[in-house]
Amino acid sequence: MNKLMVSVSPHVTSNSSTRKIMLDVCIALVPALIAGIIFYGFYALFLVLLSVGASVLGEFLYNLIRKKPQTVGDCSAIVTGLLLGLNLPVTVPFYLPIVGGIFATMIVKMLFGGIGKNFANPAITARIFLLLAWTSFMTKFVAPIDINNWGNECLKFFNCALNGGGEWINGIASATPLSAYKAGTTDLNLLNMFLGNIGGSIGETCIPALLFGGIYLVVKKVIDWKIPTIFIGTTVIFSLIFGGVSSVLPQLLGGGLFIGAFFMATDYSTSPNTKLGVCIFAFGCGFLTTLIRFFGGYPEGVSFAILLMNILTPLLDKWIVPKPFGYVRKKREKKNSKVVADTAKEGK
Amino acid sequence: MGLKFRGGVHPSDNKNLSKNCQLEEFPPVDKVYIPLSQHIGAPAKECVNVGDKISCGTLIGQASGFVSANVFSSVSGTVVGFKMMHNASSQMVNHVVIENDKEYRKEFLPRLAEITPETIKQRVFDAGIVGMGGATFPTHVKLSPKDKIDYLIINGAECEPYITCDYRLCLEKGEEVIKGTEYLMIALGVEKAFIALEKNKADAVEHLKTITKPNIEIVSLPVRYPQGSEKQLIYAVTRRKVPCGALPANVGVVVDNVHTAYAVWDAVDNCNPLYKRAMTVSGKACNPKNLWVDNGVTYSAIYDYCKIEHVELSKVISGGPMMGFSQQNLEPATGKGTSSLLFLTKDEFSICNPSPCINCGRCAKHCPMNLMPMFLDKASLTDDVATLKKYGVMNCLECGCCSYICPAKRPLVQSIKRGKSLVRKEEKK
Repeated sequence: MNKLMVSVSPHVTSNSSTRKIMLDVCIALVPALIAGIIFYGFYALFLVLLSVGASVLGEFLYNLIRKKPQTVGDCSAIVTGLLLGLNLPVTVPFYLPIVGGIFATMIVKMLFGGIGKNFANPAITARIFLLLAWTSFMTKFVAPIDINNWGNECLKFFNCALNGGGEWINGIASATPLSAYKAGTTDLNLLNMFLGNIGGSIGETCIPALLFGGIYLVVKKVIDWKIPTIFIGTTVIFSLIFGGVSSVLPQLLGGGLFIGAFFMATDYSTSPNTKLGVCIFAFGCGFLTTLIRFFGGYPEGVSFAILLMNILTPLLDKWIVPKPFGYVRKKREKKNSKVVADTAKEGK
Repeated sequence: MGLKFRGGVHPSDNKNLSKNCQLEEFPPVDKVYIPLSQHIGAPAKECVNVGDKISCGTLIGQASGFVSANVFSSVSGTVVGFKMMHNASSQMVNHVVIENDKEYRKEFLPRLAEITPETIKQRVFDAGIVGMGGATFPTHVKLSPKDKIDYLIINGAECEPYITCDYRLCLEKGEEVIKGTEYLMIALGVEKAFIALEKNKADAVEHLKTITKPNIEIVSLPVRYPQGSEKQLIYAVTRRKVPCGALPANVGVVVDNVHTAYAVWDAVDNCNPLYKRAMTVSGKACNPKNLWVDNGVTYSAIYDYCKIEHVELSKVISGGPMMGFSQQNLEPATGKGTSSLLFLTKDEFSICNPSPCINCGRCAKHCPMNLMPMFLDKASLTDDVATLKKYGVMNCLECGCCSYICPAKRPLVQSIKRGKSLVRKEEKK
């Protein structure tokens, strides 16, 4: 007789896997990437690819150096690289995504134990690291290329990069709507802000593309609807309180709110696991974002807000212990079972 | 009523393999190995000697306590010995070996003079009836609750994939199940009973609805694993929550399996003690069947009867694929709780290569008990008893939803089981 396979129950499992989840996130980011290419040309794609490559390389090298089993197969480094790349302005020199990508996976993710154990979102932390280390590059936003002349202009930023960035310093440097708003401008083209035809990071400007990807993830049950909804909702409410009705749409459509709410704040390992924890986390993200935007030194606060709430996540998970099904409070447990039965009946 | 409970998963049910196979008699075997422990609680004490001539229904093991059950011979013949063998869950159990003379002389319990709650309870004890859904908890214990019982729920949910014997029983022996339910209602003194089935057994639901009595309601539940779990079933049907650490009787409900109800009818009306049961044999490595199998038939005899030549057998599971035990060999013998035996080919089960937890929270979302499997897993692997207790590890049903749904393929339920035994050890100290 053949050898029988012996294992523990359950003997069947669902067909979900870490890799499938990560690939779903990659698919969801593709529309934003395409929008980025349309608005900023092929140099945007080049930067994103560099960032993805560097992120994967960072994880690969770490495992190689530490002689650990190779983990790049789970595709999570690709997601990190994509998110980091989409969060860069198109004007950065090519070495920024490389440094950022390696920093994200090697330092932020792998040094803390790899997937699922990092305390902060690698892409966001790497972005903040780049922002602090190369502030002038990371805060220089330019207007998108002229859509009517796309064929000729799609290589523009390559040329700029090769020429040392001289051209965009002279001519086309443009404020993001948020920094313009902070400086006091009020006549913003809201339609262009919605479509993403404005200055900003490669992947953060096109709201329809991000919404599409985000809804895809919610439908595929990769992410929970609570975090993006509460995050965005809180931002809207506090914008209303701090800046009045006229500030709501610019605050909503400008900056990295959508990419942050759908793709960064929903990162599994750095968001809480309980329902209440998730609500507090998303509320905190939205509140801190508006606080930084209205009262802080930076025009944009999404990354900082998420990072701060990431750090709070372990505490939220520690404080909030969900009640098991049929939980009864300690005091009542001590009385006889009749009382327990009565309370259970009342609670039905 | 929503009829829903929290959490749960949808494994593909594979019931079509055996769904349309009528219950048939398993052919006589030469020797049976009847386990003396076919129930939760103290093993029965053997009360026959080697060489004794016995009949079908002769008492061979006597209940040795309140939480224990009588064991009967399933064949007529000669006792040839006692043997310590592994049972389906790999525990060493004493078995009575009986050589079958294939005459099937029968020995009956005395006919009941009158039907009262006491006589039915006594009959259930005498006939050695246990919960036949798989847990094998002695039924007479459930029939002697300290609390007032309002409802009896007959569990025919059969939420485990593959298994169809309860479905066939409802379809073919519906009247008997209803009668057994009535006897159980008399024994408990309840006015209202429910027979709960999942929606995928629509024809059985229809059949039972046409023959049911006014005070027995047939409930059709959504298809979701673990619908057949006691606490989840009670919540779905009555909206009552069984408190942590309490029994269903504490909220005025008793749950019994449909097969148990059938066995009660058999014991009361036909005076037959419990020594055979309906079981499903399924999987792609055998011809699927629903069989009436005597207690003590070895798995190898069943495999020989159902096997398909040239199909490689890779895994044998006693019970369902979610909670059943995979077998090292085909030596164990069937008992009162063996509801199914699955002979699987390589492509029918998953082989798990655990990878690190990505903290996605799916396990917590699908846990029917609202626990946090990912934290319990971590705590169990680091022997952290305080955290295990904090997250209520003892409430785990071991249903396996967490392991099923885990994208990192971690054996969560296994480490939670380990966590439970850690807590038990600590409490003993």
